[in-house]
Amino acid sequence: MKTMNEQRLAELENDLNAIRDEVLADLGERDARYIRRIVRLHRGLEIGGRVLMPFGFIPPVFIAATAALGLSKIIENMEIGHNVMHGQYDWMNDPSLHSQTYEWDTVCTSASWRRTHNYEHHTYTNVIGKDRDYGYAVLRLSDDVKWHPGHLFQFINYLMLSVLFQWGVGLHELESERLRRREITWKSKLPFLKEFFAKGGRQAFKDYVFFPLITFPVAPIVLAGNIGANLIRNLWSSTVIFCGHFTQDAETFTEQECENESKGHWYLRQLSGSSNFTGGKWVHLLSGHLSYQIEHHVFPDLPAHRYPEISGKVQAVCRKHGIHYNTGSFAHQYGTVLKRILAFSLPDRLRVRLPVQGLNQAT
Amino acid sequence: MLARQHEHKAPQKRALQWLGKQLFNREDPAAFFDPLLEQLNPMWVQEYTPARVERILQETADTRTLVLKPARHWSGFEAGQHVNICTEIDGVRHQRTFSLSSSPALWHAQGRITLTIKRLPGGRVTNWIHDELETGAVIGLGEAFGDFQLPAQATPLLFLAGGSGITPILSMLETLTAAGASAPAALLYCVRTEKDVIAREKLEAMAARHPNLTLTVIATNATDSPRYLTEADLASVPGLQDREIYMCGPGGLMDLALASLDALGVDAQRVHKTFFAAPGAASLDGTDLGGTVRFAKSELEVSSEGDANLLDMAEAAGLSPSYGCRMGICHQCSCKKTSGTVINRLTGKASGPGEENVQLCISVPQGPVTIEV
Repeated sequence: MKTMNEQRLAELENDLNAIRDEVLADLGERDARYIRRIVRLHRGLEIGGRVLMPFGFIPPVFIAATAALGLSKIIENMEIGHNVMHGQYDWMNDPSLHSQTYEWDTVCTSASWRRTHNYEHHTYTNVIGKDRDYGYAVLRLSDDVKWHPGHLFQFINYLMLSVLFQWGVGLHELESERLRRREITWKSKLPFLKEFFAKGGRQAFKDYVFFPLITFPVAPIVLAGNIGANLIRNLWSSTVIFCGHFTQDAETFTEQECENESKGHWYLRQLSGSSNFTGGKWVHLLSGHLSYQIEHHVFPDLPAHRYPEISGKVQAVCRKHGIHYNTGSFAHQYGTVLKRILAFSLPDRLRVRLPVQGLNQAT
Repeated sequence: MLARQHEHKAPQKRALQWLGKQLFNREDPAAFFDPLLEQLNPMWVQEYTPARVERILQETADTRTLVLKPARHWSGFEAGQHVNICTEIDGVRHQRTFSLSSSPALWHAQGRITLTIKRLPGGRVTNWIHDELETGAVIGLGEAFGDFQLPAQATPLLFLAGGSGITPILSMLETLTAAGASAPAALLYCVRTEKDVIAREKLEAMAARHPNLTLTVIATNATDSPRYLTEADLASVPGLQDREIYMCGPGGLMDLALASLDALGVDAQRVHKTFFAAPGAASLDGTDLGGTVRFAKSELEVSSEGDANLLDMAEAAGLSPSYGCRMGICHQCSCKKTSGTVINRLTGKASGPGEENVQLCISVPQGPVTIEV
């Protein structure tokens, strides 16, 4: 990470706080209208997808229904659920859009997500050993983790994680790696497991039992479409999230680096540990504006649709302080993610001989 | 907005709700469709009770009456009760509590209710109601609540109102006169000037029709030297000792009236009052107040000197619990206290030490407290 003295860090903090204050002062009607419009879009797509699905014996209808349901899940998880749970719309005082009461349409419970994501990941972003989102305890993505032969197959693990992403996220709080190492007991995880099975059960019941059953003669079609919709959502959200922190230039940090850090230092870490990707309006909406991961990590509780508006200002602050603003096309950023997963599956002495730029040095 | 109360749920309804939770991940599954229903017809919203503003009547220079038609599932009210309304101003939902000024008979006959609302200096919601709210708009309505209610049997009554504190009393008087109540009733109505009398025509018409209702208006600022409510005003009410007394008005008037009634030997049990003004800041001066407050869900800890309520403390710590009136009426900020003792600023009473629901906005910690926020 770029080093800055405390005075420069304080200046960075002030520059970013100024951007934040400006947005906060401007929040109002426009933001409320925006999120309500997105909620209507989600309801429309979900209802449309569910109604069309039983007619999926007509192939184009099957595709349309699956796509509508998949898109509805993506929008609900990314632009509504994730952002609402960050408290981006708490100021509206609307219980249906409040961070503490919102329950989203995925296996992970909102309470678990607020603990593992809002708290752990956003506080200890990319700190190896503390941010359990970094590699999700199944992937080796930096040489801070010692290589072992199992890592050779990590690309398969990656694919499995992506396919079953909502279940992986749901189980994140189980801390399976610490259970394996016997640092914690299964007994201490019982309350969490109870929550997990209740929510996971509800999600599975809805898509794999209830909706297929009530459309009995065409149940297999509805079941297939629902599986397809969940798969689309899982692959897309996993891909977006991997592009946010595991690209070529996204930095990692050690616990020592972050001890007693100032707010300015925390800002610097968010700026250098996150990465954006570019794209059209739809790409931003469907990624919940996590295409602006840098802005999101610096200001997790500002309404996400504001990120494109403030991105120029954040970039100007980065230029002023000589901080790399990690962005690129979706294809480029995702390409470097895949390279990283592959490169770190190899032992270090092989990896450093690879002609993969940026991954040869310790990150 | 305002949660509807589902107290007596039928088994089918419970089953539907169970299914709704499985399918929509929410306690009130009907509200899943609200964003679309609201577009089609705002009166179809399920999450709260929508009420359409049918007419707006100008009562005085700074008071207007809203004639509202709530959606049919609203449960009604008793004279003297109040209700939370919810408005959205610049994207932010605000809740405020107002007394219902119409009689329940109007609701039963026509499905209409009225709220009589005075513009408060600097008030976000009351000024919006006066400046922006138009006929045809839809606002959110909660269920009625409050125990400021008429006695079950005919009893001599005295009503004591100050300014816009007349609103719950209007509802009570209309209820009494509509029922042709035989017991005597007197109204002492304190206003700044004669121009500030709310619903004068209605009051005078009631007094004209019903000889057992007497109406006295006291204009405090009519002349250069203010003329406040006196012991003599109260003593002039025939049979004062035997009347049930209902009062609603600003704090100063209520205190004055209570002291006078006490001096006249009126049994305090006969006096019923309802909130009108917000309780003042730091009204309790106990030295044992204050303590560390832990907001358990967000793992935050703050300490207090005893001069701040839990809601202010939570907000100062960067949390945003839901709230409404900020004066202990609406219970929107009720949260579970898991340990410790809090003092209720309105009653001055201490809570138990264990798990119970407390209202954040009027609770002051006494020693260490844990709140589920």
